Amino acid sequence: MDFSYLDQWLEEEVGREEIEEVSTGYRNIWVVAETAAGSVLPAALAATGQARELADQIGVYVYAVLVGDGVEPLAEKLFACGADKVLVADEPALAEYQPEVYVKVLADLVNRYRPEILLLPATPLGNDLAPRLAQRLNTGLISHCIRLGVDMAERLLLGTFRVLGGEVYHTAACPEARPQMATLEPGYFRVPYEDPYRSGDLQRVEVDLADVTGRLTWTDLNARVELPPVPLSRARIVVSAGRGMGDAAGFALVEKLARALGGVVAGSRGAFDEGWIDEKQIVGVGGEFIAPDLYVACGLSGDIYHYFGLQNARFIVAINPDEKAPIMKVANLAVVGDAKQVISAMLDLLAQ
Amino acid sequence: MKIVVLIKQILDPRGITVRRDKERVFINREEYILDPGSKAAIEAALRLKESGDSTATVIALSMGQPQADDALREALAMGCDAAYLLSDRAFQEADVTVTTRVLAAAVEKLDGADLILCGRESGDTGAGQIGPRLAEALGYAQVTDVYALTAQDGRLQATRRWGEGYATVETMLPAVITIAPAAFPPRYPHGARIMNAYREWSVPVWGASDLGLEEASLTPLLAFRGESFPPPLEVGEKFRGDPARVAQDVIMALKQQLISNI
Repeated sequence: MDFSYLDQWLEEEVGREEIEEVSTGYRNIWVVAETAAGSVLPAALAATGQARELADQIGVYVYAVLVGDGVEPLAEKLFACGADKVLVADEPALAEYQPEVYVKVLADLVNRYRPEILLLPATPLGNDLAPRLAQRLNTGLISHCIRLGVDMAERLLLGTFRVLGGEVYHTAACPEARPQMATLEPGYFRVPYEDPYRSGDLQRVEVDLADVTGRLTWTDLNARVELPPVPLSRARIVVSAGRGMGDAAGFALVEKLARALGGVVAGSRGAFDEGWIDEKQIVGVGGEFIAPDLYVACGLSGDIYHYFGLQNARFIVAINPDEKAPIMKVANLAVVGDAKQVISAMLDLLAQ
Repeated sequence: MKIVVLIKQILDPRGITVRRDKERVFINREEYILDPGSKAAIEAALRLKESGDSTATVIALSMGQPQADDALREALAMGCDAAYLLSDRAFQEADVTVTTRVLAAAVEKLDGADLILCGRESGDTGAGQIGPRLAEALGYAQVTDVYALTAQDGRLQATRRWGEGYATVETMLPAVITIAPAAFPPRYPHGARIMNAYREWSVPVWGASDLGLEEASLTPLLAFRGESFPPPLEVGEKFRGDPARVAQDVIMALKQQLISNI
């Protein structure tokens, strides 16, 4: 059989790569693989999976970077999720997060190996680290991306993120500076299926921490925070009761649901007449006009006076036994059924 | 202690309607407000001043259009001691890297600060980069997404979001702290201070030349590549039947909504 076309093809491939190398000098996609309690975070695995997809599109390798103390064994997981190479900076001094120290370690690695794209998960650590690292490297960062793509004509990373509270998406690119950096919003990228037979290169890297010291002292890793109460007019999640809840026990279910969803309790004038809520919690004409992201109406028919108060809600869920109730026509999600039973079942599921 | 608060004026989101089905943003009312995150940062600064160090000065800084003057006067009315507006035609195309450069120059013109506070992210673009970038540019320590703050003998205790919960860290000064808006509900300014903010006090404007910045150093790194919209929400999806099954479906749907919209 004649395989000469393969040689020719390979030659072309190699030739093309060399040109790329000269023109930018930056290659490959890197992921900073954040770890916690001895495992790689799902958000970091998802970022590795996304890096794999991008790398296959533009024809480069995926590197994962592990920074920490005793993190080397976690490399296997990253290979299984799509990394070709894992760089490990494993030092006792890196056990706890210090912005300046982590920035130094990663900036040194980036300057030595020159990745074309650098991804981090948008976790509390990633959101703290990525902008500082981008500033040190004098490059652009597209933060909180919910979608990534590649402009093949210009070989540019395209990052899409939410603005105006998520109602609009913007897409940005970093045309000149390298590496192109982005943080990936957790929950928007799939954790890839693991291929336990996939393997790769593990490389320990030296870190030079001589002239950098952390300025933070971590005093309590399980701190508690009491958030001040949110006024109804500014709540993002509102759970609302109507007379259809029947009695005080029914209303108590609504309160529990609000707590489980992290929202605020409100109600119709009917609920006020029953004495379940006070005057400031009435939604509608003569009460509050609200625009939450999520409005859950329980046992509430939603007459026009009530509806005026909630018409700017972004997503409405109604639970009502009467399919013909006005609220059911405007709800994005209408549950036909006994509100008490449905809410109890929801609470059971949310408690799990 | 010298506290600098970085504030931002944004378009009032209540004057904006987004029509997903028409794929358009309608600006019904072009009004500007002080960003809620910035207000929380001012509140945090004032609480630090009131809780111990009464000799502290709180200085508000804002880069923006000339109308951002209003935002700075609101900051003065809330209780800040001084305010400066950083405004220049050369700043108009600014992205976050340019803004960092301008703010860093302004802080240096003020002879540095012990503490710089700003919102975790702004209510419009919400990139959340200014704090850490400025900390790096000035060589300060940083703590982001902070829910509680106390100062003691030149050190600062901050409780921040960490992993799935919260953690408390102590940081040396000078430092940049970014504030979680939910944790610091802002005060209402006193009526007399609102009047004074316009009648008595002034807000100096610093341009590129005042800050010693050349126009060539103010080119943005990021380029805008288009706008898109989430799919329109359907109205009237109905669930019925066995409560337990229905509850499961509803929670699945809610989780999807919460993750994509909130």
